[in-house]
Amino acid sequence: MTVSSAKPSVTGAPRIRHRGRQRRRLVGLLFLAPAVVLIAVFTITPFFQAILLSFQSWDGVSPDTPFVGLANYRYVFADTEFWASMKNVAVFGIVGFFVGNGVSLGMAMAVQAVTRGKTFFRTVYYLPSVLSVVVVGMIFSSLLDPQTGILNRMLHSAGLGVLAKDWLNNPAVALPTVVAVFIWLHWGFGFLLFLAGLQDIPKELYEAASLDGARFWGKFRYVTWPGLAPVTTVVSMLTLLAALQIFGTVQVLTNGGPGYHTMVPTLVIYTEAFTNNSYGTAAAMSVLFGGALVLLSLLQLRLSARRNRA
Amino acid sequence: MPFTSAARSQSLSRRAVLLGASSLAATASLALAGCTPSTSSTGSPSSKGKVSLTFFNQSRGQEATLNALAETYTKQTGVKITVDTPGPVDYLPKLQALAQSKQMPDIYSSFTATAMAPFYKAGWAKDLSSDLKGSWGKNFSPAVVKLATFAKGNNLGVKPGIYTVHWETQTYGILADPTASGIDPTALPQTSTDLISTLAAARKNGQGNFTVAASLTPQFIQYLASNWLTDQQISDTMAGKAKWNADGWRNAFQFLLDLKKAGVLANNVIPGGSNDNPTVETDFFTKHSVAAYFDASPGVSVAHATAPDYTSFISLALPQAPGASLSPRSPGVPGKGAVINPRGQHPQEALAFVKWLTQPAQQQVFSEQAHIIPTNPTLLASGKLPTQLTGFASGVKNMQVLTNSFTSQVNDAITRDSQSLVLGEKTIDQVLSDIQSAQNLSA
Repeated sequence: MTVSSAKPSVTGAPRIRHRGRQRRRLVGLLFLAPAVVLIAVFTITPFFQAILLSFQSWDGVSPDTPFVGLANYRYVFADTEFWASMKNVAVFGIVGFFVGNGVSLGMAMAVQAVTRGKTFFRTVYYLPSVLSVVVVGMIFSSLLDPQTGILNRMLHSAGLGVLAKDWLNNPAVALPTVVAVFIWLHWGFGFLLFLAGLQDIPKELYEAASLDGARFWGKFRYVTWPGLAPVTTVVSMLTLLAALQIFGTVQVLTNGGPGYHTMVPTLVIYTEAFTNNSYGTAAAMSVLFGGALVLLSLLQLRLSARRNRA
Repeated sequence: MPFTSAARSQSLSRRAVLLGASSLAATASLALAGCTPSTSSTGSPSSKGKVSLTFFNQSRGQEATLNALAETYTKQTGVKITVDTPGPVDYLPKLQALAQSKQMPDIYSSFTATAMAPFYKAGWAKDLSSDLKGSWGKNFSPAVVKLATFAKGNNLGVKPGIYTVHWETQTYGILADPTASGIDPTALPQTSTDLISTLAAARKNGQGNFTVAASLTPQFIQYLASNWLTDQQISDTMAGKAKWNADGWRNAFQFLLDLKKAGVLANNVIPGGSNDNPTVETDFFTKHSVAAYFDASPGVSVAHATAPDYTSFISLALPQAPGASLSPRSPGVPGKGAVINPRGQHPQEALAFVKWLTQPAQQQVFSEQAHIIPTNPTLLASGKLPTQLTGFASGVKNMQVLTNSFTSQVNDAITRDSQSLVLGEKTIDQVLSDIQSAQNLSA
């Protein structure tokens, strides 16, 4: 009697556990669902709409969006302006990646090393990142003005007038100037992450390295650099993507000029859509450029993963 | 029933399920609401039987005057007018967004024909041809009406008609400080060579003192080319019926090189950037770092708003080039004006307001307060214009009246290649070839 009455409870327990698991799974899915819905509506749908639009012709206003097959892609492949902009953005990417990250890391190591004024330097170095791109553009347009700008005036005052340039209109220096402004604007982000990464590296490792006779380079090579690996992966990928997607800084400072010397793909896409009213072509450019970015990100993640394993 | 841990967990789970379900429902309903096409009709809703209209205004320069006039109109008629000014840079993208969401305003500012063509083609503009045939049409100079007319076979593919009315005639010319530029207002340079030599003589420390923003080079080139090309020839080139390698265009680009060769081009470049013309205007009106520059007539209203104390400058038409076969003529552009949305709730009331706005009395207010050249022939003939507008106003008489416009691709090519030409990176032949390619691509 006792045994027979105990039997159903033995078989019922797993069922209850199973129902509990199902309920937890359901709750989890329900909590996840809002995010999935939002991503589906605001990320996935526009993504597929952009691909669809790249095969259509649309002026941005008309209710008609006729299919034009591969015409938009043919136009883009023949568009020298777009490909020139791809070359320019490669410069932004390479310089932003190496120099930008190098500067951020250098500043983070310097701030980590100082014993006084750490908060001050942390604030000052991060300050550019909180400024609006348009504000930064206006500030630098004024600073770099060939006649009334502070930079040229300082050079003249220092007897270095020969170095004074029309920084934003001279093709020889326009691109490096815009890249420099971009690095100035973005170094705070990398700096903050590198600093956080440095603070996570145990001091004992540096002490042990010192006891082993390691100097600055040895400590950096065998303690700091491996310790920063996860942060470096994130910072380098985000910096690279930010450099490749640069838009506001270029638009405000040079609008892609002089000629096409500082033109970047995002600005070409914007002009194609909002000035030339060719949304289909702009979408085709977006698909090609976006695809290139995805491939680049995957490549970088793969390289970083290999480095982390090593 | 005793409150066991199992019961608590079950109750918590129920609460969690409810929470999750309700958050999903809220998100889904919001997303679906966003995806649902707007069922509200276009235009502004009227409340308590009173008509309410929205004017989507592009120009900051006329905003204060437009608001004041709208207030007067409301007092007179009871029709409420809301003027919405998003700013010149945001105007077109926001207007596109309004069209896409079918929330177009009752009235909106006209802009360049190229930029506005999609709106006209999509039926967001009332054809005013028949309205202008009556007495209302007499408020406008015939040239302005012709400029606003889309003729049959126009290169933008717009259905023939008149979709805009204007209270400003826009012309182009040179703004100069007589002292700094050496240009004597009583004895203006007779030829473009005289202009260059006068500017060259007035240079300080060998620095160039004349400039033109890259974004205005298409109009500068169009103005210069009219020394050799008729309106029809220019219009045909814009439509792709004539080639860009004609001598008139070649000579026009040569003038940029002549300016550079004479050392009068400030910094030896054509300045660019998204804010190029406002920067040039600041250089002239506020910093006085250039002595003369090429601009459109609304530049005078910018000066009035940003540097009201500086009034000693003059405007002048471009002088004739040596060896020119024709008199140079300013590009004629319909300036500030309005488009009426025929699908709004109150198109008749919107039309009545725009008719009132273009009456001579209101045009007079615009002219005096916003410093613009009116379109009313009587006002134009009265000569009651600010002295700084005199040179621009002189261009109204013989301005170019074209049935076609630069396509955006050609506009962009001229803008960028003019910079490259001055920098010595391209020859005139290469520039003309690039522009021809842009013309072919935009066909």
